[in-house]
Amino acid sequence: MPEHDVLVVGGGFSGMRAAIAAKAAGVDAALVSKVYPLRSHSSGAHSGINAALSDGDSWQAHAEDTVKAGDYLNDQDAVEVLCKEGIDDVIQLEHFGAIFSRDGQGKIDVMSFPGSSKARTCYVGDSAGHIILQVLYEQLLKHRIQTYNEWFVTSLLVDDGTCRGVMAQDLASGALVPLYAKAVILAGGGIGRMYQPSTSAFGATADAAALAYRAGAPLMDMEMVQYHPTTLQSKGLVVTEAARGHGARLVNSAGEAFMSSLAPETGDMAPRDLCSRAIAAEIEAGRGEQGCVFLDFQHLDGALIDDLLPETQLLVKSMTGVNLQKQLVPVRPAMHRPIGGIQVDLQGAVPAVAGLFAAGECACPGVNGANRLGGNTLLESAVFGRRAGEAAAAHAKSASANRSPGSLAGDEEKRLQDLGARTGGEDSIGSVRGELAAAMHEKVGLSRDGAGLQQALDKINQLKDRYQRVSIAATGGPYNPSLSALLELGNMLDTAQVIAASVLARQESRGAHYRTDFPERDDDNWLQHTLATCSPEGPALAYKPVTITQWQPQRRAY
Amino acid sequence: MEFNVKVRRHDPSANGKSPTQTYTIDIEEDATVLDALMRIREEQDSTLAFRGSCRSGFCGDCSMRLGGKNKIACRTTMAQVVKGDEVTVDPIRMIKVAKDMMFDVEDMVYAKYEAVEPWVEPAQPLPEREHKVSNEVIKDLRKVMSCTMCWLCDEGCTTMLVDRKFLGPAALTKAYRVVADPRDSRTNERLHNLSDAKGVWDCCHCFEATEHCPKGIDPTERIFAIRDRAMKVGAGNYRVRGHYKSFMASVKKAGWVDETRLAIDTEGGFTHFLAQIKQIPLGLKALKRGKMPRPYFLHPKRPGADKIKNIFRKVEAKK
Repeated sequence: MPEHDVLVVGGGFSGMRAAIAAKAAGVDAALVSKVYPLRSHSSGAHSGINAALSDGDSWQAHAEDTVKAGDYLNDQDAVEVLCKEGIDDVIQLEHFGAIFSRDGQGKIDVMSFPGSSKARTCYVGDSAGHIILQVLYEQLLKHRIQTYNEWFVTSLLVDDGTCRGVMAQDLASGALVPLYAKAVILAGGGIGRMYQPSTSAFGATADAAALAYRAGAPLMDMEMVQYHPTTLQSKGLVVTEAARGHGARLVNSAGEAFMSSLAPETGDMAPRDLCSRAIAAEIEAGRGEQGCVFLDFQHLDGALIDDLLPETQLLVKSMTGVNLQKQLVPVRPAMHRPIGGIQVDLQGAVPAVAGLFAAGECACPGVNGANRLGGNTLLESAVFGRRAGEAAAAHAKSASANRSPGSLAGDEEKRLQDLGARTGGEDSIGSVRGELAAAMHEKVGLSRDGAGLQQALDKINQLKDRYQRVSIAATGGPYNPSLSALLELGNMLDTAQVIAASVLARQESRGAHYRTDFPERDDDNWLQHTLATCSPEGPALAYKPVTITQWQPQRRAY
Repeated sequence: MEFNVKVRRHDPSANGKSPTQTYTIDIEEDATVLDALMRIREEQDSTLAFRGSCRSGFCGDCSMRLGGKNKIACRTTMAQVVKGDEVTVDPIRMIKVAKDMMFDVEDMVYAKYEAVEPWVEPAQPLPEREHKVSNEVIKDLRKVMSCTMCWLCDEGCTTMLVDRKFLGPAALTKAYRVVADPRDSRTNERLHNLSDAKGVWDCCHCFEATEHCPKGIDPTERIFAIRDRAMKVGAGNYRVRGHYKSFMASVKKAGWVDETRLAIDTEGGFTHFLAQIKQIPLGLKALKRGKMPRPYFLHPKRPGADKIKNIFRKVEAKK
C-alpha cells in the first residue's frame, strides 16, 4: 500500500514547487497528477513573474499595486509575504536553472505589465510559465521525487477531521488505489472548463476545490472570477498581456484606441478587470466586429516582436491565420482564472482539515483580493507553493504514524463502482458540461445581476439533477477515461454552485465582480471575504473580515 | 461541416488487434482535431482514450498522426487534414501503443530524458543574487527550452527505428540545454557521458528530427553542437575522434571525403596496426563488388572542390 510523508496532488508550478520544498526539508514527498509532467496548464502563463528586483523598486510598491488591483479585498499580511519573500523565491528559481531574459549587464531584465506602476515582471520572451515548469521538472528529477503520472484523485480520505491520504485511479490500468500520507497538499489548478469561452486547459475542472469542499473545507471569495481581456475569438486562447506591455494597443472597429477614455492615466496598461469590461462595453455598443475588438501590433518593430513575442506570433498565425505584424488581431475577453479558492492560512494549511494544505490556483491565501494583478500568479505559486511544502513537511515530521483509516478506502471504492452501474439517462457528459459552461459565461461572467444569477442557480440545480443520470460504459480497464470524466463534471457542478451562490449574495461591485444592479463598491457592508461551506442544503455562506496592514481602502482609479 | 472521423482503436485486451472506428460529427472546419476528439469523447464515446491538455500548442501532450502525418492535434484544424469528408486519426508509430492514442511514454520517453540528468548544477557557493548571463546565451537556451516534449522528433528519428536504446533527438536536445548553460559546472563530465554509446555519435544526420520539430528548434543541429563541444574537450573514444578529424581534414584539404583514409583513421590510423589488419576482409569484399573507393591520389579532381575549400577558409578567418 503506497504511503508517503507528504503527497502533492497536482503537477503544475505550485505542486512541483511544494514537492521540492517538502523533499528538501527532509521528508519523503511524492506527487500525483492526472497528466504527465509538463502537461499542466502553468505552461499557459506566458507573461512572467513579478518581483521588485530593479533599483528604485520596492516590495512595498509591488504590494501597493497588488492591493489596488485587488480592489482592497486582499489580505495585506499575505500580500506582504508574497512581495517580500517573492524576491528571494525568484532568485531561487534562477539558481534552480530558470532562464530569464537579461539586461545589458547580464542581470534579470524586467518589463512593464498592465496594472503595475513600475517595470517589475521578469520574463523569458513570452514563455515564462513553460520554461519555469521545465526547470521545476528538472529539479523534481534531481531530487528523485516519486511521481504517480496519469493518476486521477477521486476523493480525500478524511477520518475524524484529519486527512490521511487520497483515493486515486491509475488511469493506465484502471485500478483504484488508496495513497496514504501524513500530509496532503492540493495543487490541482483551475476551474476553466465550466466556462465557455475559457483560456484553460482541458484539465481545469475544479478538482482540488471540489475535493476540499466536500471534505469540509470552506471555499473563499469564489465570486471573484477573472476574465482575461485579450483572447482569440474562436477558442479563447490567451494573447498575453505582455503584448500590451510591449506597446500593442486595443482598438475598436473604427480604429479608435478606446482605453484612454476609461483609464486616462494608464490607458492600455489598465488591469484586467477594467480592461475586460471596457472591451465588452465596446462590443456591446456596436463598436466591435463579430464579437471582438482588435489588438494592434502594426506600429511595433518587427524585430522586437520576433524577439519578445515569438510564441504569441506563432499562436495567432496558426490559430487564426492572421499575421500580427501586418493585420489586426481580433480579441475578446474569456474566463481565465478563479481568484478565490480553498481557504488557507499563510503556511498554506487548510484550517478546517488537519493534515491538508493547498497552494496555487486552487487555493486562496488572500493575496489576490477581488482582481489578480497580471504576473502575480507564478509568484504566488513560487512563494506559497514553497511555503505549503515546508509546512506540510513540518506537519508530517510531527504527525504520529498513520493510523489505519479503517473502511474509508473500501467505501470510496464501492461508491465509484456504483457510478459505473448507472443506466438510462439521456444526457452525455458533454451535454451537461456544455449547458453549464454557457450558463456560467452568460449569467456568472463579466457582468452579473440578481435575476440572471437566480436563473443560473436554478440551471445548475437542474444540471446536478440530470448529472445523477449520466451513465458511462464502464469505470475500469486500461486507459478508460470514463470515470475520471464523470467525476470531473461532478467537481465542476459542485464548484459552480458555490460560485453562483457567492456571486448572488455579494450585493456590490468590486474588482472582477461586477453587478449591474449594485454597480458601486460598498466598503461599509462588503469589505469582507466570503466563505462557502458544504452543507446538505447546498453552500452555506459566512463572512470574514479583510486583514488590512498599511494600505487603507481608497477610491480605485487608473 | 459533417466529418467522418476514422479513429484507430487499439485495445490491449483484444489480442493486439487495432480496428478503426468511425464517428460522425458536425463541427466547424476551423475546429482543431483535438476539439473534435474531445467532443466525440464527451458526447458519443466516453471510452475514447487520447492525450490533450493546453489546447494551444504549449504543452506537447497531443502528438498523433492525422491524415497520415505526424501532428500536434491542437494546432491542426479539421480542414487541414480532411480528405473528402474523412479525417483519419492514428497513434504515433515509434512508441508502443497502450490503448487508442495512448503510447507508453515511460521507457521510450521519460526514462531517456532522465538519463541525461537535465538539471543545472551551478558552482558552489551560489552568488547572492542571480548569475550574470548574457542575453545572447539566454536567447539560445530559450529556443531550446521552447521544446514541449511532443516527441515528434523521436518519431521521425531513423536511428531509433533500428536502435530503441539510442537516446534520441528529444533527450539530446534537452542535454544541449544543460551543456550550453554557462551556469552549469558539470559540462565536461556531461560531454564525456553524451559521447558514450547510444549518445550523440549514434545520430546518423538524416535531419528528420529537424524536419519534424513543430517549434523549429532544430534538434539535429543541437546534436552537432554537442559533438563540436565534445571534440574540444577530448571526449569520445579514439574511433569517434579519428573519424571526426579525418573527415574534417580531408574535406578541408581536397574538398571531398577520402573514404579509404576515413576508414583507416576511424580505426585509429596506421599505428593501430592490428585494427587495420582486421579491416582487410571488408576491404577485399568492397573491392570484389566494385565498391572500394579509389585512394586519394588517384581521385579525379571534383568540380566545385575549390569552393568547398573556400568555405573552410572563410569560416576560419571569421573565428
